[in-house]
Amino acid sequence: MKRDRDDFEDDEKPQIGSSSRTPYTISPDTTTSSYPKSTTNQNPYASKNNNNNNNKEQDRFLPIANVGRIMKKVIPGNGKISKDAKETVQECVSEFISFVTGEASDKCQREKRKTINGDDILWAITTLGFEDYVNPLKIYLAKYRDIEGEKLNVPKQQPMEQQQQQQQQPMHQDQNSPNLPYNSVYSAANLISQPPFVPGDPPFPLPFSQSSIQTGSLPQHDHVDDHW
Amino acid sequence: MRQPGAYSNLLSGGKMGPHSLPLARIKKIMKKSGEDVKMISGEAPIVFSKACELFIEELTKRAWAMTLQRKTRTMHKEDVAAAVMETDIFDFLVGLVSHTPNPSATLES
Repeated sequence: MKRDRDDFEDDEKPQIGSSSRTPYTISPDTTTSSYPKSTTNQNPYASKNNNNNNNKEQDRFLPIANVGRIMKKVIPGNGKISKDAKETVQECVSEFISFVTGEASDKCQREKRKTINGDDILWAITTLGFEDYVNPLKIYLAKYRDIEGEKLNVPKQQPMEQQQQQQQQPMHQDQNSPNLPYNSVYSAANLISQPPFVPGDPPFPLPFSQSSIQTGSLPQHDHVDDHW
Repeated sequence: MRQPGAYSNLLSGGKMGPHSLPLARIKKIMKKSGEDVKMISGEAPIVFSKACELFIEELTKRAWAMTLQRKTRTMHKEDVAAAVMETDIFDFLVGLVSHTPNPSATLES
């Protein structure tokens, strides 16, 4: 049980005398009458939200501030949203997550897979009637994957101007060291004629040249030999 | 090196952090949905953070239409409930909106 308890780092504090209980049940010690809302318990949600027989309940919902912010975006500027409306939407969102996750989980079970992935969620969302969400979600997921992929690929950079200048320098410098050091500025990418910046898939402009990333086996020596 | 604005482009508002809903909390809620939910990929909460945003937006827009029918400018819970009743894909919420007259009522399940 301790491990479960560790998962609830910010929202849940250990209850007195309830260390052996599962996190999801309301123990007799924590009824509203005896539950210390703001004295021993430092849960920031305890005083703000009267939806709170047990502060563990807050783990069931997304933060009301975030929910409220998203709601406000789609109503006119002079519109107002009551607290009970926000709370209701808060509950509905959690139900939505459970509903979709349940479908996705069933699918994984049928296909004997252990991990629910993003595509399973997309499938469940479509199956349950929210197919309008799928296109924006696919775009969002693709951009996220792109950014995460780029983060993994970023090497030590050299400024692009430096690379271009060195491309124009005479090749005789290689005479002294026919074996080019692998990380020399004369990377093969510069010797191969191609545009220094390859605008391709990434939706965001990148400050470094993608071609400079290539460090696979390169025919550097061949190029040098060709000149002599 | 990614551009400073790279993540904010992903959001409709662009004002918040990379994801406007907390991923850890989403993951907790997912885990609570069933005993069978054991392993969740890193992407799944990301997809949900956007899906929940779209869901909240749709529910709110429909609820607002109910609010306007009452000729007022403040949305109340009854407007959300009415939007749920009116929309087929929100059928899974019918029990929820008719069962919570008072937030301090006993927990379901």
